[in-house]
Parts: sequence; structure tokens; C-alpha cells
Amino acid sequence: MKTDLVVIGRGAVSPAGVGLDALLRREPVPVLVPAPGDPLRPRPVLRVDLKDPAFTRWEREPRLRRASPMSLFLIEAAEQALAGIGPADRAATGLIVAFSAGCVGYSRRFFETIVTQGQKMASPALFPETVFNSPVSHVASVLGLNGAAYSLVGDESAWIAALKTAYVWLRLERVKQVLVLGAEEFDPVILDAYRSAHWLRHQPCANRFLASEGAAGILVRLRGGYHSPGLGPTISRACDGLIYRSRKEAAAAADRLCRESDPELPAYPTAGRNWLGPLEKRFAENRPAVRDETRPYLGEAFTASAAWHTLRALAALNPKQPRLLLPVWGLNHQLGWLELEN
Amino acid sequence: MSHRVVVTGLGAVTPLGEDFPSSWRALIAGRDADAPLTLFDTAGCRCHRAASAALPPLPGLSAKAASRLARASRLAIPAAREALAGAGLLDSAGKSTLRNLTFSVSTTAGGMAFGEDFIRRVLARDRTHLFSRVSRYLPHQQVLDLQQALGFEGHSVILANACASGANAIGHAADLISTGAAEIVLTGGFEALTELVFVGFDCLQATTAERCRPFDLNRSGLLLGEAAAFLVLESDTHAQRRGAQPLCALTGYGHTTDFFHLTQPQPDGAVLVDVMRRATTQAGINPEQIGYINAHGTATPVNDGTEATAYSTFLNGALGITRISSTKAAIGHTLGAAGAVEALFAIETLRTGHLPPQLNLHTPIPEIAPALVAPGEPLREAQHVMSVNLGFGGSNAALVFSRNRAS
Repeated sequence: MKTDLVVIGRGAVSPAGVGLDALLRREPVPVLVPAPGDPLRPRPVLRVDLKDPAFTRWEREPRLRRASPMSLFLIEAAEQALAGIGPADRAATGLIVAFSAGCVGYSRRFFETIVTQGQKMASPALFPETVFNSPVSHVASVLGLNGAAYSLVGDESAWIAALKTAYVWLRLERVKQVLVLGAEEFDPVILDAYRSAHWLRHQPCANRFLASEGAAGILVRLRGGYHSPGLGPTISRACDGLIYRSRKEAAAAADRLCRESDPELPAYPTAGRNWLGPLEKRFAENRPAVRDETRPYLGEAFTASAAWHTLRALAALNPKQPRLLLPVWGLNHQLGWLELEN
Repeated sequence: MSHRVVVTGLGAVTPLGEDFPSSWRALIAGRDADAPLTLFDTAGCRCHRAASAALPPLPGLSAKAASRLARASRLAIPAAREALAGAGLLDSAGKSTLRNLTFSVSTTAGGMAFGEDFIRRVLARDRTHLFSRVSRYLPHQQVLDLQQALGFEGHSVILANACASGANAIGHAADLISTGAAEIVLTGGFEALTELVFVGFDCLQATTAERCRPFDLNRSGLLLGEAAAFLVLESDTHAQRRGAQPLCALTGYGHTTDFFHLTQPQPDGAVLVDVMRRATTQAGINPEQIGYINAHGTATPVNDGTEATAYSTFLNGALGITRISSTKAAIGHTLGAAGAVEALFAIETLRTGHLPPQLNLHTPIPEIAPALVAPGEPLREAQHVMSVNLGFGGSNAALVFSRNRAS
């Protein structure tokens, strides 16, 4: 689907640090965390440092006092992407956030209390924060974004759905611009989930799959639209819907991705160390190579990863490389791709 | 650019029935599904009742395969199948005749019961069956269940805007069609009762141990429910081309965010009024042209007070002409499915002229007392109906359905 979304703002929070520069250049350092179901074998994971002043500055906001770490990641990434956008324009800004697991930390804590201490001890302060929509509500409220707001759910491909939705809102002139974000947070219970999926099988350190967390986002307007900012880096197409239920079906979906996407475009690598990596390697074999220095590995954080990859690929656009294909390797639902151009 | 959007298929599984016609008949007859909750233990809760649905059989699926599905999928698959059948899009094998079918769907908890079981096993250091639990609790797994059971693929979007999600999913489907991004969309919502969510509402003291009494001065809280409801939306040109008979048109969609509080609406109802005005403006109508509003009406003290104030402001002189009821007293609050089920009830009101009565009403809120539907009351001649939803986080949405011009 043609999208023609001109990117006018960017923001990122990742284990590499806060901001775009960290996302592009800094190597994050893993920490060891035990899984609740396997406490004797700590696993390396990539965490965001919540003591960073970029997050502690939000503690004064009444809406954010009890908010999940993911809400803090989101609001910081959103604020970066909205830099230079005044209150009047913010009021005309739509907000779409893509999640996979949502507020997994609070959800785990809330249900763990029910299991270990009984239903009577369930916390009314925690429950509202377990809802997918809560972080979006916090961001909209604190940053004054009273255009439309959606919370979308899925694997990495929810990022594509979010971009397509932004395009539809802009076509309908429902808002002047749309802030599109992806966010995930880490909780140790995620390690039990990944372990059960065999995603944490022992591999050499340089190739190890690492659970991660963070957020990233872009502020977009419609190219050629009423509020068009003129030329700029653009997400010109967004395609998805290559669904799969098994590794065999995933391979077939990857073949379709290969057939249906533009073969002349260099494909920016994104699957890296996850189980879809070998499919991506095969997919990229007959395509032009990407001119981009190797970026540090940021771990796997579903929709946040998709957003990080988009920011990195946008940064790789240049006069010698004016167009790129960004495959989106959804880890448990579907594959898709974006086309980016300068 | 703007394509007219029509509705060509409806399907639902609710606590009142295993399909939409039986659910509708029971609703109009004034029945409710309030009953003791037996799906999980509620011994430590204040409340022990909910509106549970009976799971319809799934033809073509073995008992073993059905047992692997989340309860949410067990509700959603028959409802979606009914909607496709109604739209003439189901083949003899029970699969969609369209291989590529855009899907816009809502839920708030997905297959949460599997997630709960996963946590229980992890806490007990039980390593068995972990993958089968964790891999099926995420909402996109229910989407895959639907896509596989009904034989379609293509662009899908899962909206999780809390209790307004169902209306958002339908509105988004209409947006996709009106901009030409899709010609036909299967849309709706699903929700299954789960312990985490039930205990969550219970600990917030949002549920009631008494009868659920929307818009009653003595209301004391909501009744949780579960359901799935789906619609087939398409452009009128697409429907004409394939000879489908529209049931009605979707003419207006408004949505916005209320900043007031994470779990409470702005008391003066101004945000909700704005949402309804956006919907009627898009539909090109005035409030007095709306014959019926299916209200959110959760029966919590805060929600219904705000909603009543909003309707009073929005309808102004039309209050009493436009009829209002909340069907949550009958089927409970079905969260991510609410906006979809209630949209279907609004559509059927328009089609049949029967109004869903406001159950359990003894002392109506004065602001909207003249507007609340009495049992057996018929719909006056009207061209338009509205469905309104509010959710955690301040999500507000309103949909306007209109008689199809050609019908």
C-alpha cells in the first residue's frame, strides 16, 4: 500500500541510551537476569537505564507516578520526536502506539499477587496500568496530544499496521500529523517465555539472541497533503499480511516477501539474531548490498525493534543510497516490508 | 476519495445466544444472562456473577483441535463465520470465498487465560506446556486462529483501546474503505472472561454484587460479560458489483481521547459530546435525527452520570425523542467486544424497529429519564442510530448507522 509518509521528527530510547545518536552508534552492555522459572541460570539481557535523567524528569508528572517503565520509554521517545512542535500543533497530532506484550511487568505482578496471596490482595493501583491503552493515555495526556489515539497490538508487523493507520488518518485530514511509536518493556518472566520457544538456545556470544526493551517513534505528515512539509525522508510503501503459523509457513511467507517486494532495492538487515535470521540471509542474497556501517546489536523488543530498525534505515538513506527496503520479520504472526526513500 | 460504506453481514456469539438472531430475540424479550460465574474460582472476590456465553460447536474442527484454542477464539470463530455467511462470502466448506480479506478487530485481553496458566506454571517451576500457553495468549494468535479457521489472509489490525476498542475497530474498517485502502473488511471484536480481568474490576470495586442497573440512581456497578461480534463492511460499489444487499450504511465515526483521568471520564461529559458531534457531522445529520443511541451505560456511578450529562447536552431539545438504552444489563460489559456487539444491536434496532429495553431501571437518572427505553416500546420512524463507547485511558468512540439509500 502506498503511504507517502514524510518523517519530520524522530525519537528513540534503547538499551544503548536515550536519543538517536545512541541508537545509531552506542554498543549496549548486557546484564544477567534470572528467569523466575529457572532462577539458577541467569541470562544476558539488554535493559534501559531508568535512572537516566531523561526518565527521572518525568517523575513529577502526576499521571506518571505509578506508570510502567514502558510508559516512561514512550513519553521520552515521543517528546524527542515532537521537538519543535508547539501546543497548538500538538493538539492536532494523532497518536498510534504498537505493542506486542504491553505492560508485561505490571500484568505479571498483578497476577502473581492473585496466585501467591489470593484474589483479596489484588492491587487496584496496579490493574489500570496493565491495560494496553494506559501508556498511550499517559502520553496523550502529558504531551497534550488530543487528536485521535490508537493502541495496536501484534508482533513486529503491528508497526506496519500503525504506519498504515497514520496514512489513513492523514488522508482523511483527521489530524495534521501523526506520532507513530513502538514500545516494549522487559520483565524476567519474558525469559521463561523465550526459553520455552527455544529462542535462548546456547549460541556463541557474538550471535546470541538477547531480550531487550525500549521505544522509538517518528512524527509523520503526508507528502503532497494539505500540511505537507515538502520533501524529506519518506516511508513510501507499507506492505504486510504474509501470515504464518509454523516455520515451514514462515519460509513460504519469506519466499513471497522476496517475490512481491522490489528486487532492485537494497534490503536493510533487521532479523539479525532471531530465528528468522537465516530466512533473511537467503532473502538478501540476490539483492544489492546496503551501504551502511554495521550497527550495534540492540536485542529483540518486537515493535520497539521494528521502530529502531526504521530509524536506523532512515539514517542510512543518502544520495548514493536514495531508496531502501526494510523487511519487517514478525516473530510470531506475519512478515511485511516498508519502502523508504530520501 | 470518500467511498460510501455499507454493512452486508452480521454475526455474534453473546451470553444471550450462540448466534446473532437468538441473541437479539432474547434481548428484545427482556432477558438477561446475569448468573453465578463458574469459569474460574472467585472465592476471594467481592462479586461472583457474570454473563458467560455458551460456546457454540465448531464444525470441521476435532475436539482436540478445539481444545487448543483460546476461549476467545471459540467465541470469535463462529461469530465471524456467521457474519461472512450473512454477507454471502462463505463457501460450502465454511471458508471465506475471499482469500485476501482485510481484518480490523478489537480485544483487550486476547487469550489471557493461557497467559494466566503460563504464570501459574512458572511460579510453580512447572516447565511443562509453557510454550503452548505463552504462544496462544497474545491477541494476534486469535487473529491467526480466525484466519486459519475461515481461510483468509491479508492486512490485519488489532485495536486495544480498552472498552471503546470494538467501536474503534469498526470505525477504522470504515476509514480503510472510505479512503480506498480496502474495498471490503471483516471487522468486530471479541472478549472472553478471564480471572485477571475479573479480579481487576473487582478490586477496583467497579463490579456489583447486586443487579446491574444502568442509568438508575441506585446503580452500584457493572456486570462483566464475554462475547464476540463481527460485521462485513464494504464500499457500496463493491457490494453492488457482487450483488450483495446492504443491511444499512455506516455514515459517521468519531473518536478522541479524554485526558481527565486514567479510569474516569471528564465529569461534564464535554469530550463525549465532542465525539458524538464528530460522528454526526461526518454523517451530515443533526442529533435529533438519531432515533436510538445504544449507550455505553456500564452502571458504575461515575460513568453513567457523565454519560447522562453528555446525552442531555448533545441531544438538547431532542432528549426524549431520541431513545437511549444500555444493553449491558442484559449481556454484561464485554470490554473489547462491547463496541462491536452494541453496534450490532443498534443496527438491528434500525432494521427491525424494535428497541432494546433498559433493564433493571427503577429510579432513572433525571437528566435522561424521558429518553430511556421502556419494555416493548417501538422505534419511531428514524433513519439513523448511534452506538457510543468509552474506555479506560479516555478512549471515546461513536458510530452512526443509517438506512441504506437504496433500501
